[in-house]
Amino acid sequence: MSRISMKAVGSSGQGINSIGEVIAMGLKRSGYSVFGYREYPSLIKGGHASFQIDVDSIPVRSPGTKTDILITLNHHGFEHNLYDLQKGGIIIHDVDYWEFSKEDQRFIEENDIKIAYIPLDEMLKKLKARPILANVLLTSFVWDMLNQDIELLKQLVREQYQHKGEEVVKKNLECVDAGCIYNDPKLGRVTVSLPKPDSRWKDQLLVTGSVAMGLGALHAGLRVYVGYPMTPSSPLLSYISSVQKEAGLVIKQAEDEITAVQMASGAFHMGTRAMTATSGGGYDLMTETMSMNGMIENPMVVVLAQRPGPATGNPTWTAQGDLLLAINSSHGEFPRLVISVSDPEDCFSLMPEAFNLAEEYQLPVIVLTDKHIAEALCTVPAFDQKKAQILRGKLITDPKALKNLKGSDRYDPSAKDGITPRWLPGYEAETFNAQADEHSADGSIDESAETAKAQMEKRMRKMVVLTKQLPDPELYLAGKNPKSDPSTSSGRNPKDADLDILLVGWGSTKMTVLDVLESMKVGKSESLKVGYLHYTYLWPLKTEMFEKLSAKAKKVILVEANYQGQLGMLLRQECGVDIEKKILKYDGRPFYFDELQNLILQNL
Amino acid sequence: MNIPLQSPDNTNGPSMADYHHKNQCTWCDGCGDYGIWTAIQRALVALKLHPWQVFLCFDVGCHGNASDKLMGYRFHGLHGRVLPFAAGAKLANMDVPVIAFGGDGASFSEGVGHLVHAIRSNYPMTFILHNNENYGLTTGQASSLTWQGQPMNASPFGIPERTIASMDFIFSLQPTFVARAFSGNIKQLTEVFKAAIEHQKHGFAFVDVLQACPTYNHFATHEYLLEKCYDVTTEGHDVRDFGQARKIATDTTERIATGILYQNTNIPSFYERLEPRKGITTTPVHEVAKRDVSEFMRELI
Repeated sequence: MSRISMKAVGSSGQGINSIGEVIAMGLKRSGYSVFGYREYPSLIKGGHASFQIDVDSIPVRSPGTKTDILITLNHHGFEHNLYDLQKGGIIIHDVDYWEFSKEDQRFIEENDIKIAYIPLDEMLKKLKARPILANVLLTSFVWDMLNQDIELLKQLVREQYQHKGEEVVKKNLECVDAGCIYNDPKLGRVTVSLPKPDSRWKDQLLVTGSVAMGLGALHAGLRVYVGYPMTPSSPLLSYISSVQKEAGLVIKQAEDEITAVQMASGAFHMGTRAMTATSGGGYDLMTETMSMNGMIENPMVVVLAQRPGPATGNPTWTAQGDLLLAINSSHGEFPRLVISVSDPEDCFSLMPEAFNLAEEYQLPVIVLTDKHIAEALCTVPAFDQKKAQILRGKLITDPKALKNLKGSDRYDPSAKDGITPRWLPGYEAETFNAQADEHSADGSIDESAETAKAQMEKRMRKMVVLTKQLPDPELYLAGKNPKSDPSTSSGRNPKDADLDILLVGWGSTKMTVLDVLESMKVGKSESLKVGYLHYTYLWPLKTEMFEKLSAKAKKVILVEANYQGQLGMLLRQECGVDIEKKILKYDGRPFYFDELQNLILQNL
Repeated sequence: MNIPLQSPDNTNGPSMADYHHKNQCTWCDGCGDYGIWTAIQRALVALKLHPWQVFLCFDVGCHGNASDKLMGYRFHGLHGRVLPFAAGAKLANMDVPVIAFGGDGASFSEGVGHLVHAIRSNYPMTFILHNNENYGLTTGQASSLTWQGQPMNASPFGIPERTIASMDFIFSLQPTFVARAFSGNIKQLTEVFKAAIEHQKHGFAFVDVLQACPTYNHFATHEYLLEKCYDVTTEGHDVRDFGQARKIATDTTERIATGILYQNTNIPSFYERLEPRKGITTTPVHEVAKRDVSEFMRELI
């Protein structure tokens, strides 16, 4: 394994994100796949936060627990992160008063840890630079340590600060020059060698899942976005807001989540494409409206960005604990679609899908994401813009067709697939009532037993058709370049795969699992066939492929970031197959690469 | 006012017959909803709006039972939530007049936050408050507008809370249109509704309709309202005078002022304030299309 990891740590507000982001973008442009991962507490100043970058010339989609370079902006890094260092690792710091304990000393000596001191205050004073520019000194120091082209870093700094004027750019560039020539006199010039670069990464995007999701929604024709801030859904609100002018959007930061989902529902009902996003408790507030949209058969797209609960929980950490919430939320029984993104690629590609299915089936769609996907930076190829289509189902806008409509066509319970024509206020046609009370065909309140039965069956029939249309879960095989070649599209019949180990999961887990599968080309696992069955479409749930694969596999392991193994519960509920072996995590952290690798290897 | 009952050739615009729905009304005898239901249809016809040109949004309560007793594109949603749904609808299609209806329970208890922000946002829409000062459909519980000391279902000794001074509250939010009317005065109601619908080009119109609830409201009865209400237009009230409007709206001890109390057409609506929409003449409903996002991706390389 050739990946290199570096980690900037310090208090929130000290600027570790700017160090991380600049180095991440710089290394991507130099020809590396970069994965950026942030940990931070729920506060604005203080606390202990980190920005970790894992780098390789092959795809990297997960953070590791160990780091090669630790940049600490205060002594907390010594306290909390010393043991994160790999053998031969380096600490970069400007803490001149710290004394290591005996135990720490032993660790440092045994593991050949190098400690590089950089006198930031002194250097800043000499440069007459503001304290925040310490980040630039550190970035440049590390950049040189990685043997990277200093001109590339200067270009990045210019891009980042040109809007602040020539003076600011000049000062930043002076700091770049000073940082890259500095060496700790005790150590001399220390370097860390990266794997050989691969030019394919240079033109790729460096994105978070939130940005990818925002782009996907815009690509899908999003016109109205209503949101209420809540981590980790806020980055999506921020991104969409940041491009609102160019995209000509209607954006509303609502007074609460109920307003957000109601406004977006109203906008969707009129015939545009609208969306909202929220997390945990915010979604709880939206649930009544989900039920309403189910009843009035209104298309809607809600992004539910998971964080650990219950209650306020761990606001800035990650979890996959809201799967059963998404599927079972709201009173009454109504059709819905629950899907989950897992990486920036499907953050982009699933948004048009979500909008299309919402309109084709006239139902609410819940798109699950989590803090890990929402905020982690990934290196990905420019998103494919050929594939998506805008499909609006039985939406009628043709004037002639509108003239022929009767109000009672809107909720005609005799529709075979349960899907009836939908038309919009303002269009010349016979009108109807979008009725959240149980209703007859034109939306008139009707409490009769016959209507209650017929309309429930009409609505639920949509699920039958939807289930048939949805794709099976995807199967990825170890050592087969799993990331670019899911075997579902490779021509072999994956349902016949004979596996030694079948991993089953959903959501952001996929990124780490695929990194582990990719690493399994050598050694002990070579003779074994390991596969990962990934669920994107979670409700309705298709189980046929899972049943066949799990019946043949020697061992089945559920991998989820929640306590109960919620996908496992769901699979057992739907097909009776119980997955006994589970790898579960519910400490707010995502699956780390080496951690999951070890857990899977233990099962070989 | 020309409000045709029938329009044989449809050349003169809509008639009352176009709004006729086959369903029969189910309100109690003497309910104020009949007057409001009648007047809104008259106002829409007088404004030459066909049923397919308007969107009528109903909250939950007795008034919500009007949703299937007239034509027009309609929505009957959740209790207390009609305002945000209607606001979202309007912002999506600025060409369609959007009128929301809600009761005093929905608007001053369950969904009072929405009312605050709808007025503050100055959404370009109309809100008609069916104010019968109690929860009728759930059989006569007190609302936050029920007078103190009134024995109600679930509060036989009267409510311990103080009654919200609704008009003072509304005026504290700097509204751009406030009217009050009485459900028994259909001619005046029609005029007020017309003006409130036309105000959508400026912003949010709030209409407080005082209505009788013969079954559960035994304090502000039809007779009481008939006695107390007077039309401010007969006394030369200047609707631009915020201070005077607030004064006559708030003080109901001797008489109750009805008619258009306040209107300000100089404040931009929420939509007009949206920077990204400036210069765009279409509405979001007509803009749904696959969008090339290359320009945004370039920023990420």
